[in-house]
Amino acid sequence: MATNPEHHVVWDWTVRLVHWLMVILVLLLWWTAEEGMMDWHKRCGLTMLGLVIFRIIWGFSGSWTARFVPMFRRLGSLGGYVRDLKNGSHKPVFGHGPLGILSVFALLGALSVQVGTGLFSVDVDGLESGPLAIWVSFSTGRDIADIHELNFDILSTLISLHVVAILVYQFILKDNLIPPMVTGKRPRSDFAASSLPSIKAGFWAFVLSAGIAAGCVYSVLNAV
Amino acid sequence: MLNRKIGLLCTSVAGVVLLSACGQSGDSEAASEATSDAGTTVLANGMTVAEQIKLRHDALEAIGDALKGAGDQLKSGSPDMAVIQAAAASVVEKSTGMEDWFPEGTGPDSGVETDALAVIWEDKPDFLTKVSDMQGAAAKFSEAAQGGDAAAIGGAMKELGGTCKACHDKYRKDDD
Ligand code: HEC
Repeated sequence: MATNPEHHVVWDWTVRLVHWLMVILVLLLWWTAEEGMMDWHKRCGLTMLGLVIFRIIWGFSGSWTARFVPMFRRLGSLGGYVRDLKNGSHKPVFGHGPLGILSVFALLGALSVQVGTGLFSVDVDGLESGPLAIWVSFSTGRDIADIHELNFDILSTLISLHVVAILVYQFILKDNLIPPMVTGKRPRSDFAASSLPSIKAGFWAFVLSAGIAAGCVYSVLNAV
Repeated sequence: MLNRKIGLLCTSVAGVVLLSACGQSGDSEAASEATSDAGTTVLANGMTVAEQIKLRHDALEAIGDALKGAGDQLKSGSPDMAVIQAAAASVVEKSTGMEDWFPEGTGPDSGVETDALAVIWEDKPDFLTKVSDMQGAAAKFSEAAQGGDAAAIGGAMKELGGTCKACHDKYRKDDD
């Protein structure tokens, strides 16, 4: 893969894996909630908790395109970026474009609220409850469950926006975003810059980040 | 479901755009005025509609509270039987008289906030059967709690929870 000089890696494998696992889990979580399969809802929710924690840590320990600080800096170019979009002079960006960065922050924020409230939610009959609900009263747990429900609407709205935006880029702006999120790679010629940062998941960074995330999930499981 | 949500989103976006295009309209004020003195109607039992609805909310809330308390004990691995027994007794006590909590006129068009659905009064006998199912299960739960066997208590609690759910699925509005 690295031997093909025509392609450059944009997304490291953990970013892609976490992304698609989140897609599958959101669908499973939604479905298990609708069907009242609360045992599975909890298992999937804890897995999602691990993924969200991992992704947030990876935003500091991961490869350059996964990191939050460069993303945050790039937000400064939002105005010019949107102007280019309007003028029809959009060009592919290496890593997240400024609008995509807003999407990353919003989606991760909404997912964090969703898994966080899920931990403390209590169902109306007081029987089903999140793994940490033992620490809150029935009525607080009910209020948190209301936020859990409301925030799902926010989350699904953000996801719809995200999907629509990707389709607009793919089909209207002819910016090929979907294949790179699968393979990680993009033709070198898509980018104007002469030198691009090398994108690779560091082995020890991964072990450490995944270890912390797994430790958090483990302590939730053993909290009560 | 997701479809419905996306649909809802599109509709509300369109609605907001339309509204702002038309400028302000005074409709919402008129609508809230109509319900300003809702709930003061006196029922046959002497309570106002608002009082009746508050009474059942408080009692149901207390029942939920008790069930969660018992559930938390079971989850903890070393359950305190005294706490579970007290909670179970309180479920029995608080659910006594539930058959009278939903008189005619305390439904969704009473103007008072309630999650009770109008179908309750379309099939009252079935609703009352579900009330007595729950009360029966609550009595069994309390018996099991007296027995002190955690597995039996857990089983009886699941049964009881099933009777709550059976009624809520049909007669209680769920916002999702
Ligand atoms: C026969 C039907 C029925 C049964 C059985 C039943 N409920 Fe409900 N429950 C309702 C209805 C209807 C509402 C909505 C009441 C309202 O909003 O006025 C409700 C609402 C509630 C609420 C919310 C109260 C509030 O403040 O809004 C709680 C908590 C609750 N039920 C707990 C339980 C528990 C726990 C059980 C089982 C032990 C149970 N219910 C059994 C019909 C039932």
